[in-house]
Amino acid sequence: MTKILVVAEVKDSEIKKPTLELLSYANSLSLETDAVLIGDGVSGQADVLAGYGAKKVYVADDPSLGLYSTSAYTSVVADAASQSGASQIWLTSSETGKDLTPRIAARLGVGAITDITKLEVNGDNIKASRPAMATKVIQECSFTQGGVRVLSVRGGALDVIPADAASADAVSLSIPEKDLRAAIKEVVSEAGGEIDLNEANIIVSVGRGVKGPEGVDLVKPLAQAIGAGFGASRAVCDAGWMPHSSQVGQTGKVVAPAVYFAIGISGAIQHLAGMSGSKLIVAVNKDPDAPIFKVADYGIVGDLFKVVPILIEEVQKIKG
Amino acid sequence: MNIIVLIKQVVDVELNIRVKDGALVEDGLNYVISSWDEIAIETALQIVESVGDGEVTLVTIGPDQAAEALRKGLAMGAHKAIHVSDAGFDGSDSFAYAKAFAKILGDRDCDLIIAGKQAQDTDAGLTAGMLAEFMDLPQATNVTKLGQIAADKLTLHRGGDNGSEVIELSLPAVLTVNDSLYEARLASLRGIMQAKKKPLETLDLAGSGVDAATVGIAGRQTVIDQLVEPEARQAGQKFEGDEEETTKQVLDLLVNEAKIFA
Ligand SMILES: Cc1cc2nc3c(=O)[nH]c(=O)nc-3n(C[C@H](O)[C@H](O)[C@H](O)COP(=O)(O)OP(=O)(O)OC[C@H]3O[C@@H](n4cnc5c(N)ncnc54)[C@H](O)[C@@H]3O)c2cc1C
Ligand SMILES: Nc1ncnc2c1ncn2[C@@H]1O[C@H](COP(=O)(O)O)[C@@H](O)[C@H]1O
Repeated sequence: MTKILVVAEVKDSEIKKPTLELLSYANSLSLETDAVLIGDGVSGQADVLAGYGAKKVYVADDPSLGLYSTSAYTSVVADAASQSGASQIWLTSSETGKDLTPRIAARLGVGAITDITKLEVNGDNIKASRPAMATKVIQECSFTQGGVRVLSVRGGALDVIPADAASADAVSLSIPEKDLRAAIKEVVSEAGGEIDLNEANIIVSVGRGVKGPEGVDLVKPLAQAIGAGFGASRAVCDAGWMPHSSQVGQTGKVVAPAVYFAIGISGAIQHLAGMSGSKLIVAVNKDPDAPIFKVADYGIVGDLFKVVPILIEEVQKIKG
Repeated sequence: MNIIVLIKQVVDVELNIRVKDGALVEDGLNYVISSWDEIAIETALQIVESVGDGEVTLVTIGPDQAAEALRKGLAMGAHKAIHVSDAGFDGSDSFAYAKAFAKILGDRDCDLIIAGKQAQDTDAGLTAGMLAEFMDLPQATNVTKLGQIAADKLTLHRGGDNGSEVIELSLPAVLTVNDSLYEARLASLRGIMQAKKKPLETLDLAGSGVDAATVGIAGRQTVIDQLVEPEARQAGQKFEGDEEETTKQVLDLLVNEAKIFA
């Protein structure tokens, strides 16, 4: 029988949106769904998962699980999968999900389909679409053999359907021993923009065209004036002008905001792979042949050092 | 320190990617080492150079022409290469490749296996993690920075969801590399000459010891039923001329048509 196990992700004591998207989707198809919740001090979130339709919530709550660890998290998910008897395991394609998905699939002896942007579920028959080759093609994939279906879905690919309040039927899982072979020391958070790029409705991103840290400082007030997330191309992050956590693109964050401003970004395929899902793209570039103009809805051919101050002034007027 | 690097020859995604009847148009495709795998080679060379001893062995499963990728890696400085080539592997997915690598690498003496965070043709990011699980090795994926390098232990950073995760990894282990880790070196002319004399072992399916039923169409767990073109974005309006004027025009559209500040 078809049964889904959603691997929940938590940040700052809140269930992350992509997890709610997975639960909402399963719920909208009336699929029987459980969830597994892992972390330190996360038990309180079980009710939220229940509200979004998780019938049983398997919880591993322990100080040793506060930081992500491949080995411990794999064991917990495998344990939850076997207790729930799920025929499918759904993860999000976050950095955690990307690390965990192959490990869980291999432990269960099955294949996996990752980074799905369109998912059709018919019992345990799955049709999944996913971008590949830096989004130059879309693959339509399916599973060929029996066994549990392990898959990961890109954040934003599905909609969140608001939930009812509920109280969870929670099951405590045993806590795995630490794997001393990969000891997690700490998480160094980089000071990035104040607004999470994955959640931002509008994003302003800068490229090498800003020429240096002073250029970054010139554009930042635009993001602030609009109330936008502040991102960058890899060239800017590699140069150390912005932290790596602000990188947008194939190896950075994949974003799909309502509006994306590309300021002094050429539009390399690896950058486009991270932002071409944006609803509206505005580009500022002095090179009329820059590839970014092939995807931009509104393109300003001009010097960003002239354009950006005007934008800031005008936006401030509009915002009052 | 002995390091194995998994490198895959893939279509160059920068050029000539077109889809027809559910498949890639072969005409005009160019084949290269997957970008992240070049960085994996660079990482292995850096580690061996830093420790001061050891060998870098490149391994690929791929058609005859994939030997070019191995020669290029040898020219960068890797010491030897293994080319597993057999039509029996055609149609394999990441699961089947990981199974095959577990068998092929199972009894080789090695301290570290390095792969790309994802292959440029599949963008799957599955092979290395599956291999680590099959071989019961610890892993660190999406490695962005190396810290201390010792013969039996590495300190490294991996890009995680809430920042850089600092991990102390005891060897043997499996790593996958992010492109910000290193810039891959170019092969020198001398390197290219030397590469011709370096050992390159070629194995077929039988010679590799891999069970034919676990790879190719028989062994795969997932399949690409077809490829389609992504929905093309329509290029929109381009505004050239005096910046003062064009910027105000665009802002006007943003406010009144797109209603972004509403
Ligand atoms: C495996 C791999 C993964 C990668 N992953 C990513 C990724 O995740 N994200 C990413 O962004 N890149 C990624 N890249 C790098 C990518 O290929 C490009 O090198 C990078 O995106 C270029 O950044 P850029 O557009 O800022 O710089 P450039 O390409 O140098 O472009 C700068 C632009 O600024 C314009 N400009 C200059 N001065 C001005 C001015 N005064 N006013 C207006 N415009 C001006 C120029 O015309 C130019 O178009 C990856 C590459 C590889 C190989
Ligand atoms: N056929 C192959 N030959 C060599 N290395 C491979 C092969 N398939 C996958 N890999 C390695 O595994 C990584 C991830 O591949 P994938 O799971 O397809 O994204 C690649 O970057 C390579 O390092």
